[in-house]
Amino acid sequence: MIELFDVTKRFGDETAVDGISLRVEKGELCALVGTSGCGKSTTLRMINRLIEHDGGEIHLDGQPVRSFDEVALRRRIGYVIQSTGLFPHWTVARNIGLVPRLLKWPKGKVRDRVEELMQLLGLPVAEFADKYPRQLSGGQAQRVGVARALAADPDILLMDEPFGALDPITRATLQDELRVLQARLHKTVVFVTHDMDEALALADRLVVMHQGRIVQQGSPVELLREPANPFVESLLGGMDRGLKEAALIQVSEHMLPLGPRLLASERIPYGASLSQALSVMLWHRVDRLTVVDEEDIPIGELSLRRLLGAKVP
Amino acid sequence: MGETRQSPNWVLSSLMLAATAAWLTLDAVSVAPNRIVPGTPYAALEVVGGWPALLMAVPMLAVVVLAWRPNRKGLTLSLGVVMALLALLPLWLAAATAVLVTPDMPQARVGIGSALWLLLFLLLLVLIELRTRLGMSRALGWLLLVPMLLGWWLALSLWLEPLALLREYHARSDQFASAVQQHLALVGAAVGASLVVASLLVLAMRRHTGVRRVGFGVLNFLQTIPSLALFGLLLAPLAWLGARVDWLAALGVSGIGWAPAFLALLGYSLLPMVRNIFVALEEVDPAVIESARGMGMARRQVFLQVRLPLALPVVLEGVRITTVQAIGLTAVAALIGAGGLGTFIFQGLGQAAMDMVLLGALPIIGLALVADALIGALSERLRPGGAA
Repeated sequence: MIELFDVTKRFGDETAVDGISLRVEKGELCALVGTSGCGKSTTLRMINRLIEHDGGEIHLDGQPVRSFDEVALRRRIGYVIQSTGLFPHWTVARNIGLVPRLLKWPKGKVRDRVEELMQLLGLPVAEFADKYPRQLSGGQAQRVGVARALAADPDILLMDEPFGALDPITRATLQDELRVLQARLHKTVVFVTHDMDEALALADRLVVMHQGRIVQQGSPVELLREPANPFVESLLGGMDRGLKEAALIQVSEHMLPLGPRLLASERIPYGASLSQALSVMLWHRVDRLTVVDEEDIPIGELSLRRLLGAKVP
Repeated sequence: MGETRQSPNWVLSSLMLAATAAWLTLDAVSVAPNRIVPGTPYAALEVVGGWPALLMAVPMLAVVVLAWRPNRKGLTLSLGVVMALLALLPLWLAAATAVLVTPDMPQARVGIGSALWLLLFLLLLVLIELRTRLGMSRALGWLLLVPMLLGWWLALSLWLEPLALLREYHARSDQFASAVQQHLALVGAAVGASLVVASLLVLAMRRHTGVRRVGFGVLNFLQTIPSLALFGLLLAPLAWLGARVDWLAALGVSGIGWAPAFLALLGYSLLPMVRNIFVALEEVDPAVIESARGMGMARRQVFLQVRLPLALPVVLEGVRITTVQAIGLTAVAALIGAGGLGTFIFQGLGQAAMDMVLLGALPIIGLALVADALIGALSERLRPGGAA
């Protein structure tokens, strides 16, 4: 659990972070969203004390971060940054094993852990262990970055625009992987991004920041439904908000069992989102879709009327 | 298709044309009956009826033709031609010497003429061009020189006794060995000391901005003093020190000799060394440093395990520049009695004996090239993730 009480940070005359209070529950993924310069990165880096806060208090599991030795503190917090920050003169395996080695784990244990993580992140050990960072693609490098952050199995993970430098397709893949990973590992994650779609897709809780202050926080749906002000509303996509909300809901949640009527000709997988279902309807100019499972077997149907009535649970 | 449509390689053809022209028109050798009398120059075409020279010109022109439509095969063929020519050159010189120096001239001296120097120089440039075009590695490039070196070694040890350069060498081979030794000792000491001093200075500069400003100011100023003037400036204080302080005097510190030379060299070496070390350490990707800190590396660990190893290739680049510069500057140190290869240069200038000047100058060039290559190769090896 991470708690910020009225935290402030000034650089010279400029107040970068202005009295922020925030509570990230254990196992929660909290996204800090905002335009550049809103203080979200600064906030993140105050948690592992790469930047020291000027006012207020930051607690980890009830203990002020200042009460820890800063080096020891960082070793128990995973940290991922946009440019990966992999050491170019070290192999992938050595990069991943960094923190366990700093913590003086026995050699064999470090090796086992590195291999375990490489498998977890979809990096075949034989192929990647001895490569150098410059031989990796952007997506592979960021996977290594995540593996390195997870190496010593920290409870807390700080991610500073981790997918910001990737192409849209790789980014989407890594977002999916992170979601699966998080469902399995239940880390307490603070995730900084300026990409609202990314935040909506990943976060349990969204914190919108502007000029060093928190403008609004809540679940993605809460923010979509009731943006606190025009700024949050525009950040959330203005008129696109309806689609963004629909993107959060799965077709399977709102389909009806197959009725006596003929099957609709167009199909949609049950794992797709309602916004995708709407798009398919628009494209084919139909108001009914057949919902299919992984084997393309019809398991239900979705009508436009049903879709319009859908509400986030 | 792509290969046949290549546009002409102008570099290759013009270098080769110039080489051919120089070879066929300028003086290739000169023969003097003794050290005092100026030599009689001979063009390559005047030696043994000129046919060996013409024979060598034919493949040179062939390279010009091959350069018109360069493809891999043609370039490889050209490379073979150039390597053969480079190896043949000393043998031609040996043949010319055998013909031109008759037994009634026991003191005869054969000088190398401008045609031969130019040919050597241009052929080496062609070799570099071909190496680059063929995408050969540095190491392989050095191997290309082996036939030439073998040729010279063979000719020098068997047939080129009357060569003026060799006669100058034989007249003072002991002196030569010790001059090379002194030269290397001075360079080694100056570069080694400047590496240590510069490292300490950079550490201080990184900590305090004040030191940084003053440090770079002083070093920049030092660099602008002409080397002879610096020797002059050091003369008085060092002479004074040598006279007052017994243990310094016992070390050989005085106004002339190794002490001022060493100090001046050290002074000149500091700026490139400090600048390179400083830049090397500062320019390590900030994201890498940030992540090192964020992962929980302590300051020392960040410096020793991340910053320093990543900076090392650039630091070595500084050592390379400094070493090459010091090898050249040490020649001037001969003027204040510090010894080294510069001794021959200044003695030769004084006696108007160009071959003696060369005896000093050529090894200096050689040393600089070898130092450059060795340190360059080392820095290449240390590049991050170097073993691709």
